[in-house]
Amino acid sequence: MSIWKYLFNLEERRNWWTRKMPDGPLRDYYETPFPDRDIDWRQADYLAIDFETTGLEASQDQILSVGYATVRGDRLVLGDATHILIRPTVDIPEASAVVHGILDDEAAEAQPLEEVLPVILRALKGKALLAHHAAIEYEFLNHACRNLYGYPFLCPVVDTLALEVRQFRMRDQAIRSGDLRLAKARARYGLPRYPAHNALTDALAAGELFLAQVAYRSSRKPPRLKDLIVVS
Amino acid sequence: MEIELIEIRDFLSAHHPFNQLPEPAINQVPALLQVRYFRRGSIIPDAGSIDDYLYLVRSGAVEIHGTQDELLARLGEGDLFGYRASHMEGHAEFQGTAMEDSLVYLLPAAEVDRLCKEQPQFSYFFEPAGGGRLRDAISNTGEDGSSHLGLMTTQIGDMISRAPISMPPDASIRDTATVMSDERVSSIMITEGEQLVGIVTDRDLRRRVVAKGLDTSLPISHIMTTDPHTLEANNYAFEAMLHMARNNFHHLPILRQGKVAGMLTATDFAERHTTSAVYLVSSVYKQHEVQGLAAISGRIPQLLQNLAAADATANSIGHVITAVVDAITVRLLQLAEERFGPPPVPYAWVAAGSQARSEQTAKSDQDNCLVMDDAYDSRAHGEYFKALAGFVCDGLNACGYIYCPGEMMAVTDKWRQPLAGWKRYFNHWIEQPEPKALMLTCVFFDLRCIHGEKNLFRQLREYLLAKTRGNQIFLAYMAGNALSFKPPLGFFRNFVLISGGEHDHTFDLKHNGIVPIVDLARVYALAAGSHAINTQDRLKEVASGGEVSHGGAHDLRDALEFVSSLRIRHQARQIKAGEAPNHYMSPDDLSHFERSHLKDAFSVVRTMQSVLSQRYLR
Repeated sequence: MSIWKYLFNLEERRNWWTRKMPDGPLRDYYETPFPDRDIDWRQADYLAIDFETTGLEASQDQILSVGYATVRGDRLVLGDATHILIRPTVDIPEASAVVHGILDDEAAEAQPLEEVLPVILRALKGKALLAHHAAIEYEFLNHACRNLYGYPFLCPVVDTLALEVRQFRMRDQAIRSGDLRLAKARARYGLPRYPAHNALTDALAAGELFLAQVAYRSSRKPPRLKDLIVVS
Repeated sequence: MEIELIEIRDFLSAHHPFNQLPEPAINQVPALLQVRYFRRGSIIPDAGSIDDYLYLVRSGAVEIHGTQDELLARLGEGDLFGYRASHMEGHAEFQGTAMEDSLVYLLPAAEVDRLCKEQPQFSYFFEPAGGGRLRDAISNTGEDGSSHLGLMTTQIGDMISRAPISMPPDASIRDTATVMSDERVSSIMITEGEQLVGIVTDRDLRRRVVAKGLDTSLPISHIMTTDPHTLEANNYAFEAMLHMARNNFHHLPILRQGKVAGMLTATDFAERHTTSAVYLVSSVYKQHEVQGLAAISGRIPQLLQNLAAADATANSIGHVITAVVDAITVRLLQLAEERFGPPPVPYAWVAAGSQARSEQTAKSDQDNCLVMDDAYDSRAHGEYFKALAGFVCDGLNACGYIYCPGEMMAVTDKWRQPLAGWKRYFNHWIEQPEPKALMLTCVFFDLRCIHGEKNLFRQLREYLLAKTRGNQIFLAYMAGNALSFKPPLGFFRNFVLISGGEHDHTFDLKHNGIVPIVDLARVYALAAGSHAINTQDRLKEVASGGEVSHGGAHDLRDALEFVSSLRIRHQARQIKAGEAPNHYMSPDDLSHFERSHLKDAFSVVRTMQSVLSQRYLR
């Protein structure tokens, strides 16, 4: 995962881009500092986010919908929970429509990505990005920013899948196929089953999983943000 | 946009009192919520006051404790606590503890206030008179609940027994009257679509039509009472009663979220009283025909439903229901003696099985036998007792206590014997036990005298208990019998379900839950020579005698009460839905909390069965 190497000195890179970049949604986004790596995790804000896409390749596939909600302190706040359909520039491949249930007609009513991306960036301001298998969301955002604004996307990232892998390693447990899927991971923490493949439901599901994972950390001291974000 | 939180909205609308909110209001609630995760063992709230939020359990289980750490409530999925929900007399301070990993929704206090102000149906839930969830939940502390079988805890919606009968306003007076007489109702609602526009009663037809000689082809809207008083289905029964008494109404239309739900009549209240056990028992003795008794026993399902709604314990419900059967049995014997004359020799009518144990529910068959004095002479007296037993067993059958499939009834010649004959039977069963025969006759080790010469029964009981007390060989056979039904629990504490057939994906609460406990208690009681017959009494009594540990007996009593109350609630639901009550329950019908308690109950039974097997079968 080559992308994660950029995350060293994240804050410096943000400053550097802010100085370099013309006005626009991405620069607005970069003007707010990222949350401090050393603070207690409850003092940071997170945006639990999920995309439904036409496929898994950020370079060729498109975002069809986005859902997000904020994790603030030790709770998921539903007040700004948002779900937006995004109009793709190509027809939706049947294979992916089967999964997320978004059809061409519906998607045609949706807003284009250039209108939605600024909304997402505004919601992300000053927060850490939180997702299950966050590389997908990160790569798609990075790709979109490069395409639309010509500059890369940066953000501290919390990946519930990576946190789950750590749990397995810590307990010296073998990971079997399917163990890391969102629904399966949630079941381990006694979280209710949700219907999958709606971007907002999946975002909430990831947010709740995150709260459960932190509650289950064995250390007595509350973790700091840097203990939770992706480092490699 | 918040309508997108549809999953959460749907959860809310499945739970009281959020389901009272109109569509637009409930759609706005999810966006007001915060979601928190409490690991098992954590204290709620972990900061601030419990009154800062109203808490709604989404998944998991939470216990509420008062200042003295006393348990006030056990809450599961869909239950509320915190702001406004926990206000009870004498309990100002609360604390929650997550008993399982729990996902909880928090609604800020200010939003609760705003909703209460804007939505009266919603606020009613939180008013002291309304009771609230917590008070209901507390009633599981095991106190005898049959005394408050009451109007305070019953919602009107639960009293309405039939679908609403209605006519459009343009129907003719004659057609409306025809429908009323066909449906045997004394009043009818006049509706436009689902909107109530008026009501018409028998009295209106009398006063406004017949007495005035009005043309019956006129539309009914001509004579209806427009804009009648109504109440919502979630109001409590006592409110409706006050309302009707105050205004001298005999009929009150009931709405559910603005739509017609049914008609509440003065008779409904009378009926509620008539299904109280005392009324049933006293009316039994006024009957002179079997049909009259059958009509009374027909009210038992309703009685069971009322008792369940009033949160009576399963043990007290068993006693109440059995009291009615006892009364019917006695009355049948009195009628038989009227018909066939006084008995030529003294006799005792003895109930066996669940009636003897005072553990009957809505679905029971009859087990009984007849013990005659040793002066009995089959040639001289045989016909009399045969006729008497036939009359009573047929009568019980007509009352819904169907003939015992194993023919363990007094009408069977074999089970109509003088005392000496019964002693011979028991002597044989106890001294030369055979596993197969014991399985059939074990109902005869639960006996209770219902009518007749009590002394005959006492002699028999002393005889058999003297033989069973400490009789290791016989008890080993009984213990083997007690292990024939196992709790439906797999290796990993998962439920083992019936697969395929009519009862697919269920377990049998009776045979796999209740019978094993009853069987265990019987072994203990016979070993100790105890007089107790009721399973709870048996367990209470033997705990002090050393047959079983105090803790073990206590756990078994809790387990029995829990499984029995699940069965009763299950049957009450079936009765309400118009289905025949049975013992088959699906784990899907249980809350997370109930599932985990049921597993605990089954584990207790499994442990005690293995203790018993260690003791007698090694």
